[in-house]
Amino acid sequence: MNPIILRGVRERLRIKHLIAAGLFSLIITSTVYFSAYLNEANGGWNYNPQTGQMEQDEPSPVKGARHAFTFLLSLQGFYLMFLGTGRVAAISAEEKESGLMDYQRMTPMNPFSKIVGYLFGLPAREYYMFALTLPFLLHCIIVGELAFENIVHLYFVFFSSVMLYHLTAHVIGLVVPKPRAASWVSRIVVLGLYVFLPAFGQAGISFLSFLTILPTYFGKMLPELIEMENSEYYRSNDMINFWQDVPFFGTEISPSLFTLIMQGLILAALLVSAYRKWRNESLPAFSKTSGLIIFAVFQFLLLGSLWPFFSEGKASGLLGENFSLSEAENRGGAPVILLFVQSVFFGLSLLGILTLVNTCCPDRHLHLKGAQRANRLGLPSIPMFADESRGTWFVLALGAMVCTVHAILLSQAVATDLFFSIKPELTAFYLPSLLLIACALYLQAARELWFSLGFWGFVGLLWITPLLASLVLAVGWEEKSLDTVAMLSSLCPILCLPQILASHYPIPIPDEHLHILPFGAFTGLGTASILAIVFSIRLHRKTRI
Amino acid sequence: MISVQDLKIHYGNFVAVDQLTFQVEEGSVYGLIGPNGAGKTTTIKALATLLEPTYGEINLGEVSVLHEPEEARKILGYMPDFPPVYDDLRVDEFCDLFAHAYGLDSSKRKSKVEECLGLTDLLDKRKALCKSLSRGMKQRALLAKTLVHDPEVLLLDEPAANLDPKARIDLRNLLRKLASEGKTVLVSSHVLSELQDLCDTIGIMKNGTMIHSGTIDEIAEKTNPARTVQVHLTEAFDGIEDCLKNFPVISSVHAVDESRKRFEFIHEGSNQVEAEVLSSLVGKGAKIYRFEPKQSKVEDLFLQVESENWKGEIR
Repeated sequence: MNPIILRGVRERLRIKHLIAAGLFSLIITSTVYFSAYLNEANGGWNYNPQTGQMEQDEPSPVKGARHAFTFLLSLQGFYLMFLGTGRVAAISAEEKESGLMDYQRMTPMNPFSKIVGYLFGLPAREYYMFALTLPFLLHCIIVGELAFENIVHLYFVFFSSVMLYHLTAHVIGLVVPKPRAASWVSRIVVLGLYVFLPAFGQAGISFLSFLTILPTYFGKMLPELIEMENSEYYRSNDMINFWQDVPFFGTEISPSLFTLIMQGLILAALLVSAYRKWRNESLPAFSKTSGLIIFAVFQFLLLGSLWPFFSEGKASGLLGENFSLSEAENRGGAPVILLFVQSVFFGLSLLGILTLVNTCCPDRHLHLKGAQRANRLGLPSIPMFADESRGTWFVLALGAMVCTVHAILLSQAVATDLFFSIKPELTAFYLPSLLLIACALYLQAARELWFSLGFWGFVGLLWITPLLASLVLAVGWEEKSLDTVAMLSSLCPILCLPQILASHYPIPIPDEHLHILPFGAFTGLGTASILAIVFSIRLHRKTRI
Repeated sequence: MISVQDLKIHYGNFVAVDQLTFQVEEGSVYGLIGPNGAGKTTTIKALATLLEPTYGEINLGEVSVLHEPEEARKILGYMPDFPPVYDDLRVDEFCDLFAHAYGLDSSKRKSKVEECLGLTDLLDKRKALCKSLSRGMKQRALLAKTLVHDPEVLLLDEPAANLDPKARIDLRNLLRKLASEGKTVLVSSHVLSELQDLCDTIGIMKNGTMIHSGTIDEIAEKTNPARTVQVHLTEAFDGIEDCLKNFPVISSVHAVDESRKRFEFIHEGSNQVEAEVLSSLVGKGAKIYRFEPKQSKVEDLFLQVESENWKGEIR
C-alpha cells in the first residue's frame, strides 16, 4: 500500500474516528435520504394549476427513490467535493509551510505515487463517509429502477470531478508559497474554474460549462429522474435542454464524454504541474513546452466551441437563445453580439497568456541561474526550451495561436451573411492581433524584469486602476467625460479590444460619439506598443549586462 | 564525501550564501557555526536538495546534488531546525512511514524502526501520539526518522537545540558512533560547547560566506598565532617571571591566582619553545606538576572571529 495513503488511514481513521465520522455520515444520510424517499413514496403533494388545488400523487416507491437520488448525490458531493477538497488544500499548504512536505520530497518515491498518496490519503475520512452512503445508493438504484448506464456515466464524472477538485487544491498548496495565500488562492481558483468559468458557456464557449458534474447530471440523469413527473414544468426545464449534446465544430458530442475530455485535459495539466513541483520545488509549474501544448489545446477548444456560432450562427446558452429568438430582428444587432463574443474570446486568451507568462517565464534570478549554468556547460546561450530561457519567443508563439484562431473565426463570420452586410476592413484582423502581441510582449518583459510583486503591481496599476477611475468618471460625469473614459479604459486591453472592433463594425452609435471609439482604440494600442518596445529594450540591455 | 564549490544562493536580490566552498571528509563530523542569518540553514537546505542554488556545485561523493537530486536523496538524511512531525501518528508509525517510503521491506521495517527508536531513547514512547511528545522528544523522533533508511550523509540543522543535557550527551555519543561507522555528519548549532567534543572540523560562517574552515586548532592558529600556556606549581616560585622574560618570544606572563602557584604565559613560538621553557623552569628548581597549552574553545574562536570581523567592518 502507498505509504502516504497508509499514513492518512492511520491518522484519520482510528477507531474513535471511525465511530464518530460513521455515526455522523449515517445519521445525516439516513435522515436526508429517507425524508426525501418517504415523502414521494407515500404519494407527494403537487399544485395543480388547472384546479388551483394541491393534489396528492399515487404512492410510488420508484418515484420516492428517484426523488431521493438528487439529495443523496448532493450529500456525497458535500463529503467528497466540499469537505475533501478543503482537507487537501489545507493540509497540503500546512505541510509545505511546516516543512513536513520536505520530508516527503526527500524520499525516493516516484512523484506520481506521492501525488496519489496525497489525493487519497488526506481525505481518507471523507472517502469513508462517502462509502457509508453507498448502501443508500444501492437502494436508490434498485427501488428507483435507474438505468445502470446513466449511473455509471454520472459516477464516472463525479469521481473525475472529485479528482479534479482535490488535485487543484493540492497543486495550489504546492505552488503558492504561503499557506494563508494558498488557502485563499485555492478557494478563488476552485470558484473561478468551476463556478465562474462555466458561466462563459452562456456566451457560446460551451466547453467551459463542462468542468463540473452539472452537465452530466442535467443532461443524462435529470430526464430519467423526472420521467414519471406529471408536471410539464419539469419536462420543459431549460437546464435539461441546455446540457444536451454539445455543438463542437460541425459535430455534437455527448455531455458526459465532453465533461470527461475537459476534466481529463485539466487533470493532465495539473498532474504535470504537481509532478514538476514534487521533483523540484523551484521549478516553474509548467515548462515552456507544456505551456505551449496547454495553450494550443485551449485555443482548439475555443475554436471548436465558437465555430458553430461564427459559421452558422448556432450557439448554446443565452447567446444562442438571444441570437436565434428572432433572426430578422437580430440582424441589425448581430455585429454587437459578434463583438461581444470576440471580446470574450480575446479576454479569455489574454488571461491565458497572462497566466502562462507568470508561470513559464523566468524571473531575473532564474535567468541568471540559467546563464551561469549554460556558461559552465560551455553552451553559447541558454537552450530555447529551458525554464531559464527568455520567454520572448514563447509569448510570440502564444500570440500567433490567438491571432490564427481570430483570423479563422473572422473569415468564417465574413463568409456567412449573418453578421455583416459590408465586409469589415482587414484592420479588423490586424489591430486586435497587434494589441494582443504588444500586451503579451510587455507582460513577458515585465515578468522578467521584476519579481512577482513588481509584476503583479504593474499589471494591477495598468489594468485595474485606470478602469476604476474611468468607472468613477462615467458615473459622475456621464457623457461629458466619455473621451477620458474611453482613453482610460483602453489601457486595460480587455476593454480596448471591444473599442478596436467596434470602430470596424456597423454598430449603431450616435454621430457625436463616433470619434470616441477610434480615440480609445489608438490610445490603448499606442500605450501597449510603446510599453512593449521600451520594456523589451530594457530587458535586452539587462541580458547583455 | 561532501564537497561544496563556489556555492551562491540568492533570494530575489538578497544574497543568502556567497562563494561558499568547503569539504567534509567521509566518516567525519563537520560543524557549521555562525550568527543568525549567516546562511547555515540555507546551505544545509541546498545540500539536502530542497533549495536550488543560483550558482555552484555540490557533490556527495560521486553524486551531484544539482544534477542527480533523486540519487542524492537516497543517501541523505536531513533533520531541520524546527521539528515538524505528523501530530496524529504514533511515534513508531511516524518512523515506519519513512522506512516504507524509502523502500524498506515490510519484514525489515519493524526491526529497523525499533532499532532507531532505541538509538534515540524513545522505545518506551513508541506508541505515544507525536503531538503528545515534548519538543525535545519530537526532535529525537525526528532523528530516529532521519536514521531509519541508514543514510550515508546526515545533515542536522540545530539538532541539540531542544534537548536536555543528558539527551545532548547521548546525541553527541550517537553522532560520534555513526561517524566512526563511516557516516558523514554535517551539523549546524548555536550550542557551541556541544561542537567542541563532537566535531572533527568546523566552518565559521558570516553573512553568507565562510570565514574559516578547518580543525579547531587550525582555525585558532589562523585567527590568533599566540598560544597560552598554563603552569601549575606545587609551591610558589618567585623567580618564574624573570626566568620566562628571558625568552624573547614570550609576550606576557601573569599569575592566575594570589597564591602564585598558577601562571599563564603567552608566546608566538612553536612546541620547541614550550619544551625549552619547561626544562629551563625545572632546571631552576620550579616544582611543576602540570604544564599545558590552553585549548581554544569553539566559543572563544567564534567570539574572536566575530570581533575581528566587527573591527574590520568599522575600519
